[in-house]
Amino acid sequence: MTRDAGYCFAADLGGTKLAAAIADAEGGIVTELNEPTDPRGAAYVAEQIAACAQKLAHTAGIDVTRARHVMVGIPGAVDPHTGRVSLTPNITGLDDFDVLGFLRDRFGPDVAIENDVNLAMLGERALGCANRCRNAAFLSLGTGAGLGLLMDDKLFRGAHGTAGEIADLPIGRDPTDPSAGGTFELEVGSLAIVDRYRRQGGTAAATVRDIFTLLEQGDDVAASVLDTTARWVALAVVTLQSLLDLELIVFGGSIGVRPELYERVRETLPTLFSRPITIAPSRLGDRAGLIGAAWAAGQALRRNSEAA
Amino acid sequence: MPPAPITSVTRQLSRRSVFEALLHRSPISRADLAKVTSLSKQTMSEVIDAFEQQGLVRPVGRTRGNVGRTAVLYELSPEGGHALGIDLGARRLTVAITDIAGRVLAEADEPTDSRGGTWAIDQIARLSDRLARDHHTHPSRIRSIVMATPGVVNPKSGAIEMAPNITGLDHLNVVGLLGEKLGSPVVLQNDINLALLGELWHGCAQNLDNVAFLALGSGVGLGLYVNGRLVRGENGAAGEIGYLPIGGDPLQAESRLQGCLEYQVGATGVVRRYREAGGSDVDSEREVFERAQAGDAIAAQVVDETARLTALAAAAVIATVDPQLLVLGGSVGARPDFADKVTRVLLQLAPRPVEIRTSTLGRRAGVVGALSVALRRLHDEFFGVAEFAAALPLPPPAHRSAHQ
Repeated sequence: MTRDAGYCFAADLGGTKLAAAIADAEGGIVTELNEPTDPRGAAYVAEQIAACAQKLAHTAGIDVTRARHVMVGIPGAVDPHTGRVSLTPNITGLDDFDVLGFLRDRFGPDVAIENDVNLAMLGERALGCANRCRNAAFLSLGTGAGLGLLMDDKLFRGAHGTAGEIADLPIGRDPTDPSAGGTFELEVGSLAIVDRYRRQGGTAAATVRDIFTLLEQGDDVAASVLDTTARWVALAVVTLQSLLDLELIVFGGSIGVRPELYERVRETLPTLFSRPITIAPSRLGDRAGLIGAAWAAGQALRRNSEAA
Repeated sequence: MPPAPITSVTRQLSRRSVFEALLHRSPISRADLAKVTSLSKQTMSEVIDAFEQQGLVRPVGRTRGNVGRTAVLYELSPEGGHALGIDLGARRLTVAITDIAGRVLAEADEPTDSRGGTWAIDQIARLSDRLARDHHTHPSRIRSIVMATPGVVNPKSGAIEMAPNITGLDHLNVVGLLGEKLGSPVVLQNDINLALLGELWHGCAQNLDNVAFLALGSGVGLGLYVNGRLVRGENGAAGEIGYLPIGGDPLQAESRLQGCLEYQVGATGVVRRYREAGGSDVDSEREVFERAQAGDAIAAQVVDETARLTALAAAAVIATVDPQLLVLGGSVGARPDFADKVTRVLLQLAPRPVEIRTSTLGRRAGVVGALSVALRRLHDEFFGVAEFAAALPLPPPAHRSAHQ
């Protein structure tokens, strides 16, 4: 190649963890890092992302200005028209912070931000288990619940960027009953699972990971809690399938990838739905978002070079 | 340099752009057509002459008021070709004819023959034929036919399956039989998707790209229009929201067969719940709604619960696809009293505000949508250029029978 094809910078911002990478012009990751998300809130997190780019460029032995396209995954909704971020309870002040503006100041105009689960969907489409799918979803279950949607082989963001914000799915305790006030995330989020374990008389679990460990040790309460959780998840899967008739639903996120969960969901589905539904665990695991971000940045870089 | 030879593709493209200009700017002179399309005056003359010979355009007067010579104005001729739209509902059959410019020339409806099967097919042919003849359209002029139907069309057998409210169509080649009787191939499409396209063309959803159409009548269904395209899903089953796990025990046999939501809010569900709640005998869900309005407390309760479940389904749609607009349609869904109730529950539920409108086309939505697709196909037949994936934009609903 005679001309500098350039590099990309990709990041996947989470409530507790920030992953970032320098990728080549095709979106293939060259070097990556992981660090805890700065807990002090949006402005610090934004600086942290910029600092990651510097560190990674140094490791890769390139000047950071050669990262010609930047893609950052955001744990919330991104308005496709304005770039405004919303529904980001896990990072203090992010809803009121102009992430896109900050990143453009630092990196120049070729910056994009995207919902993190959407990027995970793209990652699985490009390099994971949704290869060749045109209509698929990435269902992320962890602290919260989120959904990335691929329709006709394109990301589907909705009119305001809140498509797939299934935390609010009316599944779970009756959402029209004001005393219950529960929707999907309140049944399957990590807090809900731990809470369910305690309410059912379980003792020594502080996190969902503890519950999975107890399950391995034959803890009946853990098994029952996962059965219940899997049932709610299965109802969400049936909802998605009724609405969108998908080819594949990829399970991801720290809880979603656990076979103890998705196998239970898989077993439940035929009792709830007369047509077959295909689900599969994420192949890229917790790197799906980062890989998707790098891939998307590579695509954008190629588009820009072709246009130039 | 000699001019490049006119290839058939360039000719097609010229014809197409002239047609498009006529579709959206009639009446218009040759000079203005040339300006709009950037074609040479000579090419324009050739195209217009050819169109006149084909009967596609006709002169409708002359420009006036300007200095100098006046020019002939042209418009698309109503004789240029017709499209037929059919909406086969469980209770009502509607047919309509449009000319090539999108002017709705005639429309008729009658109760669907309850015997279904070949009776229904004969009825469709008879009503379409009568409509054409009453409006002096020779059936041979009808070049494009689209029918809205409930259920799913089996592409191999041509039968309509999963349409429990019309009997006897699941073992007939409906596509073949109708095509034979009407003398032109018939395209069948899902009625709710077509009702949504109707609202997009002539109704309450014009000029929008992300619209969800939630229909409640005999059954419940959803049409989704996303980024300017209908969502059909991997196997054409997108929008089958009767199967949403809302309103009952999804493990129950009825839920699995008929759909959990539909078992509760479909017409038979409404009637059943009214009886179970101690209501006296009723023939239809409409009667339950009328009784509710007349002050029957049991009926009111059933209606409220139906609205609550419909709102839950709408909330699932909003959380998942984030539409710009949610349209409530169908014989029950579009009732203002019912839509008000749904909207009220939804406001209390939905974390994000979404605009809600009731269908403005009402029971015409399906036939108008069928017409819009039939018209696109007609345009494509005349002016489709293989190199172009995009369809010609349909004209706005400015004129209903402007020349009648």
